[in-house]
Amino acid sequence: MKHSERILYPVLFAVLLAAPLVLDRYWLDVLNSVGLYVILGLSLNIILGHAGMFHMGHAAFYAIGAYTTAIINTRYGIPVLWIMPISGLAAALFALVVARPIIHLRGDYLLIVTIGMVEIVRIALINNVFGITGGANGIFGIARPDLFGFKLRQPQHFFYFIWLFVALTVFLFSLLENSRFGRALKYLREDEVAAEGSGINTAHYKLAAFVLGAGWAGMAGTIFASKMTIISPESFSFWESVVLFMIVILGGAGNIAGVILGAFLVVGLPEVFRDLASARMLVYGVAMMFMMIYRTQGLLPPRPRVYSLHTVRETQ
Amino acid sequence: MEQFFQQLTNGLAVGGIYALIALGYTMVYGVLKLINFAHGDLFTIGAYLGLTLLTSLALTDHVGGFLGVGLLALMVMGLVGIIGMLLERIAYRPLRESPRLSAVVSALGASIFFQNAIMLIYGAKFYVYPQDLLPKIPVYIFGMPVPLMRILILVASVVMMVALYLFVQKTKIGTAIRAAAIDQGAARLMGIDVNRVIMLVFCIGPALGGAAGMMVGIYYGQINFTMGWIYGLKAFTAAILGGIGNIPGAMVGGLLLGVIEALGAAYISIAWKDAIAFFVLIVILIVRPTGLLGERVAEKI
Amino acid sequence: MKKLLSLVGGMSLMLATSAFAADTVKIGLMGPMTGAWAAEGQEMKQVVDMLAEELNQQGGLLGKKVEVISEDDAGDPRQSSLAANRLATQGIVAVIGTYGSSITEASQNIYDEAGIVQVANGSTAIRLSEKGLKNFFRTCPRDDEQGKVAVATIGKLGFKKIAILHDNTSYAKGLAEEAQTNLKGMSIPVVFFDALTPGERDYNAILTKMKASNPDFVFFTGYYPEAGLLLRQKKEMGWNVPFMGGDAVNNPDLVKIAGAPAAEGFSFLTPPLPKDLDTPEAKAFVASFQKKFSTEPKSIYPVLAGDGFRVVTAAIKGAGSAEPAKVSAYLKTTLKDFPGLTGKLSFNDKGDRIGEVYRVYKVDAQGNFVLQP
Repeated sequence: MKHSERILYPVLFAVLLAAPLVLDRYWLDVLNSVGLYVILGLSLNIILGHAGMFHMGHAAFYAIGAYTTAIINTRYGIPVLWIMPISGLAAALFALVVARPIIHLRGDYLLIVTIGMVEIVRIALINNVFGITGGANGIFGIARPDLFGFKLRQPQHFFYFIWLFVALTVFLFSLLENSRFGRALKYLREDEVAAEGSGINTAHYKLAAFVLGAGWAGMAGTIFASKMTIISPESFSFWESVVLFMIVILGGAGNIAGVILGAFLVVGLPEVFRDLASARMLVYGVAMMFMMIYRTQGLLPPRPRVYSLHTVRETQ
Repeated sequence: MEQFFQQLTNGLAVGGIYALIALGYTMVYGVLKLINFAHGDLFTIGAYLGLTLLTSLALTDHVGGFLGVGLLALMVMGLVGIIGMLLERIAYRPLRESPRLSAVVSALGASIFFQNAIMLIYGAKFYVYPQDLLPKIPVYIFGMPVPLMRILILVASVVMMVALYLFVQKTKIGTAIRAAAIDQGAARLMGIDVNRVIMLVFCIGPALGGAAGMMVGIYYGQINFTMGWIYGLKAFTAAILGGIGNIPGAMVGGLLLGVIEALGAAYISIAWKDAIAFFVLIVILIVRPTGLLGERVAEKI
Repeated sequence: MKKLLSLVGGMSLMLATSAFAADTVKIGLMGPMTGAWAAEGQEMKQVVDMLAEELNQQGGLLGKKVEVISEDDAGDPRQSSLAANRLATQGIVAVIGTYGSSITEASQNIYDEAGIVQVANGSTAIRLSEKGLKNFFRTCPRDDEQGKVAVATIGKLGFKKIAILHDNTSYAKGLAEEAQTNLKGMSIPVVFFDALTPGERDYNAILTKMKASNPDFVFFTGYYPEAGLLLRQKKEMGWNVPFMGGDAVNNPDLVKIAGAPAAEGFSFLTPPLPKDLDTPEAKAFVASFQKKFSTEPKSIYPVLAGDGFRVVTAAIKGAGSAEPAKVSAYLKTTLKDFPGLTGKLSFNDKGDRIGEVYRVYKVDAQGNFVLQP
């Protein structure tokens, strides 16, 4: 780690730890929102940033996770935290089924298909597919998380819960980034044909990236569902996917710190500028264009990995 | 059986509009390989500009029905064409050398910008075109009354498509456009001013979209700032269906999509209509990614 | 570094705004100022701001000025909870809003936990007042009441085969289902039940399909933009079956969109329009709105928001205190037959508006909305 980072991270950590003590519930809720989007952004980062696949349907996985939690919790009364892995699994399975036929598509086409997919999921949710999704009303009465008898209700509780999950996510994904899996993904993002030529089974890795990203998003869905206690299809529109997409791209695709920054900017800034209300979205749009023109790689692009070479002593 | 034909005509009429918007998408994609997300909003701008011009200039009072509307269409097309060129200059040209993804994001940003700009300028309410611009005589096909305007829209779409097709195939500039679509670098080497070609494409495509917007306004009457979203997405689907980059493909795709939607609504379910359309899109992309009329493009290694 | 700066920036902004807590009675307004229903939200703000201004000119509330703080929920449940949290930290006594049942629902728990009185003006889903929330009220009626009146009207007019069309939003679907249940109870067959997609323009396919099922009456529970298009396109098709709408079609633009010839004969349910209320309050309200904004209020929901504001301020005045618990109690027990802009207002123990609010209106040949007996 660079020297500046060694100071920066602990300071940030301390600030975040202290936040619930100083901030009012509104700003805490904003930070909670940011945290949730960090988790989602990081899950999309695997697909979009590391594997380089144009994916604009991430909200669908998020939705499946949230709805799985909602349905199981409201029908069978199982505590929300137990359902989290199930939600992740459901989203991952869905990704597996859906991604399998489209994984080989070229960039733009993949983009379009993912847009179509997220719209179909949303319409299915609104139309109360299989009779369990509650239609446009959504599902309400989802229980709050129950940690060994302690119910999480206030924004402060959720703050620690969410940000702990964020820390976990960051930790796991950093490990992933530097693992063989992560390297394979980066290789196939840079040059798919060469990667295939080097013996990497690109289809296999792409699919794995999709499934992993989806599963994690599904678990984020659980947190969302239990925090809001009601969910409806409106929260999972194509626009949500656009927001997630922007967080990754604008922040720096492929870089964990970039995604975190992206979440703060994309979700937090509009709150800071709440008073501008109607013009807010306009500024959003302009910012997107501006960013792409002047800093395509995002605010914090991924740093190249530095390997130290041991000098080889010349043999006499 | 009667319902089938009724729905078929319904579908063709709607498809005509999709086709017109799809033409714009397909042209831009053909040359720049860019999905211009802002195209749907250019369509909306066309609708709004049409209304503004209509009310401020009171054309139809001076010049009378068809001629007035025709003039209006030309004005709208000109204005939206200019906006299209500006869009290209500001949002896309700087990104010519950048990875494709950046242009897509910029396009999304442009779309958001336009939509909210319209909302801020005109307000959030629905606007309505004056009613009696064109005669509403129903024309009888197979014994069913079809409003004149629907046929007009279909005819206008076909005419514009044929004109565009001939332009691209037969004229020198059209050939330049096709050359740039195949390989920009080689086209430049041949002495073609690629920048000008692209500007032209961004003038024609949005102009067609704007004209479609105006027609939708006149026919359906009601416009609002979010209308570009759904039409844009459908038209986009239509372009893909027919083969993106392919002009007759856009026409075929548009009509086909309209018919699939209408029949899907009639025989399966209205509520799932859009999902059916998207599903068809996904199937086509998996089974035949180049679309129905598209050419196979070899992937360069 | 940037993260730290933005965090610090946000915190100082928050501290700055709370420092501005002057001595006023603060009432919140939450509505869709942006997004798909921006037209409703913006008009809600106009109405409530105007009423607050008038109240302040008359001396304010409990000797202090009334301050209206508005927040945008963008018609989205997630934004709604953020907006609610924002308002909850501003020291408001009560909040008016919002429009859209699922959007209101996202904010209910937040206001309840903060002990703020909430008066919804455009959320008719039944379950909102079935949760035992002590400080939740609404000036708009519930879907079950509207469904009953709709079906009673249909029964009275003697139609035998009904088609029901909604647009899949929670409001429209709820109302449609209510109507369907009630019709079943009256043994009147529903031959068609489906939803259209709002935002589209071409409904010929749907109309053709509906026509094929041969109803003699159609009940459309969606919003006025789609209603206008439906009426216009059905006339072009040459189909003359009578249509009736729910209260979301109540908007003068309906006739503009459909065209007077197509709109003629269309009937709909709504709380009485301000122009049909005889009370001096309503007349004065419409007049001052007209003077200030050069147009009449377009939609009924902003007017219901105005009523929400008026009952809350009346309750504060009547209870002599701005404490939410006292205001709630006053609204439930002491406030009876309050002269509202939309009719007499009283609340039951669940916070719902008591009384039959819905009337049937018909569109005449000139495009006017005429109250039916």
